Amino acid sequence: MVAIIEKREMRDFDWLTTLLAIGIACFGIWQIHNAMPGESYWTKQIIGLVIALIAFAVIAFSDYRRIIELAPIFYIVGLVLLFLVLTPLGVEVNGQRAWVRLPVVGQFQPSEFAKITTVLMLAKYFGGRKSGTLQLREVMIGCAIMAGPVGLIMLEPDAGQALTYFPIFAAVLFLSAIKLRYVVVVAIAAAIFIPTAYYVGVQTGTIKRYQQERINAILDPENADPRGYGYHTVQSMITVGKGGLAGTRGDTETSQSVLKFLPEPHTDFIFAVTAENTGFIGCIALLLAYALLLSRLIDGAREASDRAGMLVIMSIVTAMIFQIFVNIGMTLGFLPVIGVPLPMMSAGLSAILSTFIALGFVVSIRMRRFVN
Amino acid sequence: MKLNEHGQNLGGRLITIQIVAFVLLAILGVRLYYLQVVRGEYYSERAENQRIRLIPIPAPRGAILDRNGKILVDSRPTFNIVLSNEPIKGVDVDSRVDDYARGLNLEPSYVRERLVAIKKQNDFETLVLKDNASMQDIAWVESHLLEFPELRVELQPQRFYPHGTQMAHFLGYVGEISPKQLESDEFKDKGLRPGDIIGKAGLEQWYDEWLRGRPGYRKVIVDSRGRVQSEIGVVMPQAGQDMVTTIDFDLQTAAEQQLAASPTKRGTIIAMDPNNGEMLAMASLPSFDPNIFVQGSKTKEGRKQIAAYWQDPSRPLYNRAIQGRYPPGSTWKLPESVAGLQQGAITVERSNLACGGGIQVGNKFTRCMGSHGSPKLDYAITKSCDGYYYRLALKMGIEGITKMVEEFEYDKPSGIDLPNEKISQTPKSWRPIVEKREGKWSDIRTVFSGIGQDTVVITPIAHLKAIASIGMRGRMYTPHFLKEFKPIAAVGEQNQSGYFPARAGFGFQHSEPKIINMTPEQNDLVLKGMWGVVNGGGTGASIAIPGFEIAGKTGTAQVAELGKDTGKNKDHAWFASFAPAYKPEIAVLGLIENVGFGGSFAAPAVKGVYEAYLVKKGFLPPVDPDLVAKR
Repeated sequence: MVAIIEKREMRDFDWLTTLLAIGIACFGIWQIHNAMPGESYWTKQIIGLVIALIAFAVIAFSDYRRIIELAPIFYIVGLVLLFLVLTPLGVEVNGQRAWVRLPVVGQFQPSEFAKITTVLMLAKYFGGRKSGTLQLREVMIGCAIMAGPVGLIMLEPDAGQALTYFPIFAAVLFLSAIKLRYVVVVAIAAAIFIPTAYYVGVQTGTIKRYQQERINAILDPENADPRGYGYHTVQSMITVGKGGLAGTRGDTETSQSVLKFLPEPHTDFIFAVTAENTGFIGCIALLLAYALLLSRLIDGAREASDRAGMLVIMSIVTAMIFQIFVNIGMTLGFLPVIGVPLPMMSAGLSAILSTFIALGFVVSIRMRRFVN
Repeated sequence: MKLNEHGQNLGGRLITIQIVAFVLLAILGVRLYYLQVVRGEYYSERAENQRIRLIPIPAPRGAILDRNGKILVDSRPTFNIVLSNEPIKGVDVDSRVDDYARGLNLEPSYVRERLVAIKKQNDFETLVLKDNASMQDIAWVESHLLEFPELRVELQPQRFYPHGTQMAHFLGYVGEISPKQLESDEFKDKGLRPGDIIGKAGLEQWYDEWLRGRPGYRKVIVDSRGRVQSEIGVVMPQAGQDMVTTIDFDLQTAAEQQLAASPTKRGTIIAMDPNNGEMLAMASLPSFDPNIFVQGSKTKEGRKQIAAYWQDPSRPLYNRAIQGRYPPGSTWKLPESVAGLQQGAITVERSNLACGGGIQVGNKFTRCMGSHGSPKLDYAITKSCDGYYYRLALKMGIEGITKMVEEFEYDKPSGIDLPNEKISQTPKSWRPIVEKREGKWSDIRTVFSGIGQDTVVITPIAHLKAIASIGMRGRMYTPHFLKEFKPIAAVGEQNQSGYFPARAGFGFQHSEPKIINMTPEQNDLVLKGMWGVVNGGGTGASIAIPGFEIAGKTGTAQVAELGKDTGKNKDHAWFASFAPAYKPEIAVLGLIENVGFGGSFAAPAVKGVYEAYLVKKGFLPPVDPDLVAKR
């Protein structure tokens, strides 16, 4: 493969992004090991990383513009995969129907990949527009593009994945020159509507008891029933706090995850494991690594040679910061428990593969920043 | 920035997104600082509390031995089914009651009680659901481990009373500490936990502090389901101290056999060394099996048996020796004789008082059982002349009788080392009540108090203590069971957690005996009368043992008026004594309820104890116990 890579491509290849991503993923594998040293999740994650890196390289050295041209095809494939989840080919894990099993390929989570195909579709549509403020018609078409995957994911149901689509769409609209006053109006409306909706929901019983409990566990974790719905939140906070400044450095004897106090330690609560083992120092280092990576990606967006590339990168940036914030916020006990994986850290083949495919696009776009 | 060409201020919008991203990450950082650095200690402690559990290792209680080293009480290994709180925190009580009740053969109401109790405890507390578990119970628990992770089998040394109903009253029994006791001053700061075993009656209760061991524990790490993952420390328990009592098992057995052979099988025989107050025997019949209280309080049958004990009209749970109060009848004449001499109502030189066949007080004539002329004190004792003591009591007056009660300490507990001792009732305690009710204390009551009736109802132990002092030239010792507590070695390393210091052995702390002031001549005169009762053709002549002179006094205490004293209202038979008469080694008191004459029933029973004593000393050949029972 190296032979066909042009010299210029090697020169412009984004080593920093690549190394940061691989570094975070390796750090993640160590934490998956810490979470359950007796289980094979961490070795599976290594295999996942290797596959992800191959996919990453293939995408990075492809011309993203050609791929974006084919976006409608990918988009339809994505929808078909999401639909398959709802057919007998779908697989239910922990009461959630989010996986599909295909011959040869094996079992995977289509919603992770549909995110990319949807982003490409949005980039193709909004990347083609010229200057001028955003028209209502364009917004409606954007909504139509979103409706397909979000609707199918809500049917699974997988609220965490579905939610991720909204900030992506918001970012795309924001960067497609939506008028600032709309942004302000929407922000104010949300600030009023969300608490009102919660209050009305509680009063009318639309919001179920367990959903209320999850919210209450956030508002007042010390008084939430630690055996009930607040259990995950309380245990996660204990695990994080226990890490202290320097962490327990892989002490399995007192490990919250090994003793099974911490639920889902290798996936949703991987950050709690990180906090327990590496302490405040390790956590801040990880947050800095994320910050550096995100900055680097935004730089890439800035220098993108076309609007579509910029939109692809910023969609990925938005999805990533959303997932990081929601996942860690949940782990730190100030956001409700929603199943959103932590990018590059949480165990799961689909998640790491889709993240590195996305990063492949970023690198590809960056590499071609001088081409026009 | 080439995108600016479009004039949409795209650069500004990108920077906005970048700033939002950094702000979000900063929020996470601040929250992390709060949780890990500011509150790190707190969460660290919470994590430790939920994973560390102390599993108690019960400590064996000290054994109780008789004076010759024979085991009266010890402990044997049994298995308990233990209920943990943590795994059933979120489980409804009702969902378990029927399963447990069926699986472990327990009463549903009891199971419910226990479940409710454990749910009120801290997360990691445990409570015994069933003790003395059978092999079937253990198998049931083991086979339902997945279904009921809250149940566990635990080895527990259990108190065992190998002699069953023998000695039950003074040995007592053990049981689980009650919630009320846990809060009481006595146990508050002793580190006891719900479910701990303490003495509930008798010596077990009185000396609980020393008999009770100090439990150790295994410090383990458990997972979220409460399953033990690893052990991180162990503190070994320290056993309780062994107690050597003053009891002589053979004399005790003889006393119990004598009571069992009596017509009503109700009464008490107590034997004491008058030289120091050491109790040699304390029999009280009917009796109960303390093992029922230890094992059975949690089973249906056990509860039924305990309820039956409580409802039994013959009152088997009650220790007649220290809780029974009986009119002493003529045995009362002994302290009265001493007091009469002390107070000068009679003198050694002129101790004669008329018998008169009885006495006329007001319009009522009270009879003497015989016609004794004008006997001297010793003859009056020997023949138990009521007429003599009617007049002596009148001479002493109610004040004199009260003084006598105080002199011989009938107005106090005997001080024996047993809980729940009753205090005798005497003219001293009755006088204010009677005067309030009837306006005055009439002479007839003084007359009756002269022969141990009416306002005189005393405990056998107080009586034995008083009468033994007459044999001891006025030295009155406190009766007691403790001979010594054996020392026990320290457990663990000093200055480390889980260190139990050594506990020293100690003997009974004798207080100075109370001195009953009397001249040797006065003492000898009373002794002469007592000697005569058995050896001089007196009321107890039938029990004389050649070569072993018993000094004693019979008593026949009326329970009902003359003429109605039949059947279950028959008189109580008393015999109070010590031997040898002039150098006593042993004092024995017998009381048999509702059988009739003291000389016919109580005295022979007491003789049986003396015979056992003599067999032990080698003066008499061993007796076949079956023969005693048939007699």
